[in-house]
Amino acid sequence: MQEEAIRVEGLRKVYGDVEAVDGLTFSVAVGEVFCLLGPNGAGKTTTTEILEGYRARSGGDVRVLGRDPEHGERELRERVGIVLQEAAAQDELTVAEVLTMFGRYYPRRRAVDELVGLVGLTGNEGKRVKLLSGGQKRRLDLALALVGDPDLLFLDEPTTGFDPSARRQAWATIKDLCALGKTVFLTTHFMDEAQTLADRVAVMASGRLVAMGTPSEIGGRDTAPTEIPFPPPAAVGLADLPPIPDATVSEPAPGRVRIVAPTGLHASHAITGWALERGYDLRGYEVSQPSLEDVYLRLTENATALEAAR
Amino acid sequence: MTARTDAARTAAASGELRRAGAALSQTVDRPAAAPRTWRADLGLIAWQVAYEQRSFWRNRTRAFFSAGLPIMLLLLFASLNSGGRIQQLHDIKYVTFFLPGIMAYGIIITQFVNMAGGLANQRDNGLLKRMRGTPLPGWAYVGGRVGSTALTSALMAVVMIVLGVAFFGVTLRAEAIPAIALTVLLGSAAFAALGMGAVLLIPNADAAPVVANVLILPLSFISGIWYPMTDAPTWLQDVAKVFPIQRLADALQTAFDPVNHSAAFAGGDLLVLAIWLVAGIRLAMVFWRRETAR
Repeated sequence: MQEEAIRVEGLRKVYGDVEAVDGLTFSVAVGEVFCLLGPNGAGKTTTTEILEGYRARSGGDVRVLGRDPEHGERELRERVGIVLQEAAAQDELTVAEVLTMFGRYYPRRRAVDELVGLVGLTGNEGKRVKLLSGGQKRRLDLALALVGDPDLLFLDEPTTGFDPSARRQAWATIKDLCALGKTVFLTTHFMDEAQTLADRVAVMASGRLVAMGTPSEIGGRDTAPTEIPFPPPAAVGLADLPPIPDATVSEPAPGRVRIVAPTGLHASHAITGWALERGYDLRGYEVSQPSLEDVYLRLTENATALEAAR
Repeated sequence: MTARTDAARTAAASGELRRAGAALSQTVDRPAAAPRTWRADLGLIAWQVAYEQRSFWRNRTRAFFSAGLPIMLLLLFASLNSGGRIQQLHDIKYVTFFLPGIMAYGIIITQFVNMAGGLANQRDNGLLKRMRGTPLPGWAYVGGRVGSTALTSALMAVVMIVLGVAFFGVTLRAEAIPAIALTVLLGSAAFAALGMGAVLLIPNADAAPVVANVLILPLSFISGIWYPMTDAPTWLQDVAKVFPIQRLADALQTAFDPVNHSAAFAGGDLLVLAIWLVAGIRLAMVFWRRETAR
């Protein structure tokens, strides 16, 4: 088996004179969960649909499981499962019938009872598709993508519309698939989803890759300065605070103090020591590293601003 | 969100993951791969026909009205003109002229108009895109759709013939039955395929009925379905003969014409229908390639 499930080199897609995807390069290892993040219009869907074989590229090279998806070979589609953002199934058929029907298309097929168990639809086998709730339809989507026991799974916003417990369940299913050596290519708007599932995250903005890395390192998240916001006690101004080495102290709003320090430990020590000595309780005191969402917003806003400036 | 809560969520989620992981471990063995053969591929079309049929008949309202409209038209016109005869066509009974015409019309409605509307809808709601993402070959999907609607219209034709013979005195000659069956099947397939191709002209599902009717209705008036074209100018008759509507109606009328004594295969009509069928299939495959990825 090859080491790379997906390889993309210098991928370009032009619509008219709009560069929807502009020189994308990345690869996804076998067994990896790779997550593509980006604001609407960043080129995520275009990229995903090129990988899925729905669209032709304008330039660059793409290999999915060693094949060019543009040729749409049956052999490739037999090894790939796709969860689209929005797609109807045969409304008048039952869950079991639809799963059986799709199973016939694949040389390897999973049994219906196993599939419904996997996605949490047990007990609904005899229900017509049109009578399923929105969340149940999404689970059916996942089951239909798993029918052929794929090596590679494309999940386009797979948990949109799920309630929190259904999301946890879907995540568990996806993690299980990885444990079986499946590769997952994921797009999502939920940072906690990327954080929980992804081995690696790539952020796209305006058709380009602006950052790529593990969820805990991306965009320098692990080495970024620590932020300490807190409401100062009454009648305490910035000048009354103790000296904190290498930190910048600011007052972003009246009644809010924000300390940004290269390492949280020293700054925190200085502030808490000072507060304890004087008997302040500093309710609302926090020490935070930038979250994935903070990093994501910074990266995409920068890229969008750059784009606008050009 | 802070790093600490991130970690907590991850930990909570992975707890669930472990539990579900235990449930999945029995299914780690990969299912065996079935070998691909041409027989299995043909079977795939048969299965598609079966599932399409099941879907069609389960929506009873839709099934009743799409198969019922031509039958209602037959009952209506045949009752209105019962006892009428048509002089231009050597004085045959009106219903003997009208039954094959309305059969042709019924085939066109169920095949062409409903196919175009249904497919435009399935394209817009993503069903076709989902099918396209599976290993199901385009020809198997197209074959399943065409086969299923052909079955439906064959059934409709049988019902109409039975009604015509039983209540309106239409004579059905036994030696013409093979010609009728062949014409119905060929015509159904041609119009189903053309209906698929027509979706190329339909930007969205809302526009489907309008576009399909514009393509069908005017032609149907010059194709000798509602009244004989014997008094129409020759050039207009020649124009109509280029298109499959006139050919389908004429082939069926030939088979039902009591003046004919042979098997009454209308060779010229069937040939033109076959040409339209080939063109329709080509268009349907273009449709499959281009429109299912939207």
